[in-house]
Amino acid sequence: MSSFTDTLERFAPHLFLFPALLLIALFILIPLVWNLYLSMTNFKLIGPTAREYDIIWLDNYLELVSDETFLRALWNSFLFTIFSAIIGQVVLGLLLALAARASLPDTPIGKAVSVLRTLTLVLVFVSWVIPEVVAGYAWAALTEKGGLASLLLGADYRIYAQHPLGTIIVANIWRGTAFSMILFIAAMEAIPRYIYEAAEIDGATPFQRFRHVILPLLAPAILVDFILITIWTFNVFTQPFIMLREALGKEVLWTIFVYNEAVKLQNPSLAAAAANVMFAVVMAMILAYLAFMRRLERWYYAGR
Amino acid sequence: MQAGSLANLQVIALVAFLLIVALFFGAPLLWLVLSSFDPNASPEFKVPSSPTLSHYLGLNRPIGNATPLRWIVNSIILSAATATLTTLVAVLSAYTLTRHPLRWQKGFITLLVVFRLTPSIVLAVPVMVLLRAVGMLNSYTSLVIVMTALILPFAIMILESYFRAIPVDYEEAAVIDGLSRPEAFLRITLPLAAPGIATVWLLAFVIMWSEFVIPVFILGDPAKYPASVGLWFFFGEHGRVDYGRLSAFSILYSIPAVIVFLVIRKHLERGLAALASR
Repeated sequence: MSSFTDTLERFAPHLFLFPALLLIALFILIPLVWNLYLSMTNFKLIGPTAREYDIIWLDNYLELVSDETFLRALWNSFLFTIFSAIIGQVVLGLLLALAARASLPDTPIGKAVSVLRTLTLVLVFVSWVIPEVVAGYAWAALTEKGGLASLLLGADYRIYAQHPLGTIIVANIWRGTAFSMILFIAAMEAIPRYIYEAAEIDGATPFQRFRHVILPLLAPAILVDFILITIWTFNVFTQPFIMLREALGKEVLWTIFVYNEAVKLQNPSLAAAAANVMFAVVMAMILAYLAFMRRLERWYYAGR
Repeated sequence: MQAGSLANLQVIALVAFLLIVALFFGAPLLWLVLSSFDPNASPEFKVPSSPTLSHYLGLNRPIGNATPLRWIVNSIILSAATATLTTLVAVLSAYTLTRHPLRWQKGFITLLVVFRLTPSIVLAVPVMVLLRAVGMLNSYTSLVIVMTALILPFAIMILESYFRAIPVDYEEAAVIDGLSRPEAFLRITLPLAAPGIATVWLLAFVIMWSEFVIPVFILGDPAKYPASVGLWFFFGEHGRVDYGRLSAFSILYSIPAVIVFLVIRKHLERGLAALASR
């Protein structure tokens, strides 16, 4: 009896981990490995190679390298990430966090500004938490012929159809900025207020205070934010997909290319090859993130 | 003027900045609200002259072989099932990882981070082909299990930090006082971890609630669609787009997500603060 409970005690931990390990293995690990195999076949969902397919080794990859649509999608994804995540979300998120932190004069005007500020932060937050499909629909309407954006730009056409990349970049800044904002607000809260006050008493201008006090203390948070949203933005699919609708070309982003190849063109083997190439890129970013976090941790503990 | 507060010119700059940002972020949201009450809704930005509730009341009118209300009900079922399964599995794993450290623990956590950041479109293609091969496409069971697997890495990481914060001494003391280990877990640790468990359940719920990629690859029958895929189906229909009803549906579909995020906001900020200052 006691040897039975001993054995149970010893193996129970492994038993409790089993469901998670099984699920992760079945639906994350195996699909990732299987994707490699799939990408080396000529399997299609319809037609003669749906039943009997052959191993064609790297042919799908060679096809991708010479496929202008794929290369354009890849280039667009890089532009999308640079402008939306790095230039848009990080900068706007930082400005909003600074605005959230600013102390307002204790006057009726100050109180009114405070209400405006709360409203603004709530709007930024709501844009981030509503379902992505809704965000895509709202932006499709906004950039539709006769929509608000067309009106403001004086454009008598569908903006999203004429300038798809620019439209989805702006829409994604709208969608994603809240994450950076919340992260920066949280990081700033961790900086003691007396540090700002000391700098102010020493006569530092607001810009000097930002440049020499806030920015250096915020640097780790900015880097974490920068890497995370770079990965997420590079992987964005739903909002651009809904906004541009299926009618538009598959060259818009690499994620849309994968969807179109797999679902519309019923060619999952080429889609798998494209997904693998992109996963390698994302993996490199994740490894950079992990290496950076480890270094940061070491630096942090060394400083104590 | 109070010490440390902004000067007049800075206040003016702040107001200008806030106004521009509020307009940019508010415009699409305001259009959604206005058009959902507008009998002649269109992409045009206008205040309805005679507001109506007809778009909301018309949400049980069918589109194809389904109704928008059905999609919301489907989403509730799928999200609740996914959240519950995810939480159960994640509690077991996270508890084990904090109470019985394993040799390969560090590697496992690193793997969780990698999986957490893996794009779902990369997994969607092989998962679809594999489920098709075993004849399990178009099934809620498949969808719930796949989504649970995808949310698990995130859920385990969050719960692990909650369990880590509860001293193991509490349980040990309870065991010395005569409770068995499972009892000590159920009566001491679990109640203390309740806020974390609730947060994970709500997060998993809202992730499934908003998810589009995986269901669009797995489900083929519009009557089975969750709200996300239903909205896409509704919007992508040929011919005239029914903006009024689409906006009303979008708002109904967004409200639960907004509420959940408001409830877990504090936990979210805590998690992000930990991330930023780690």
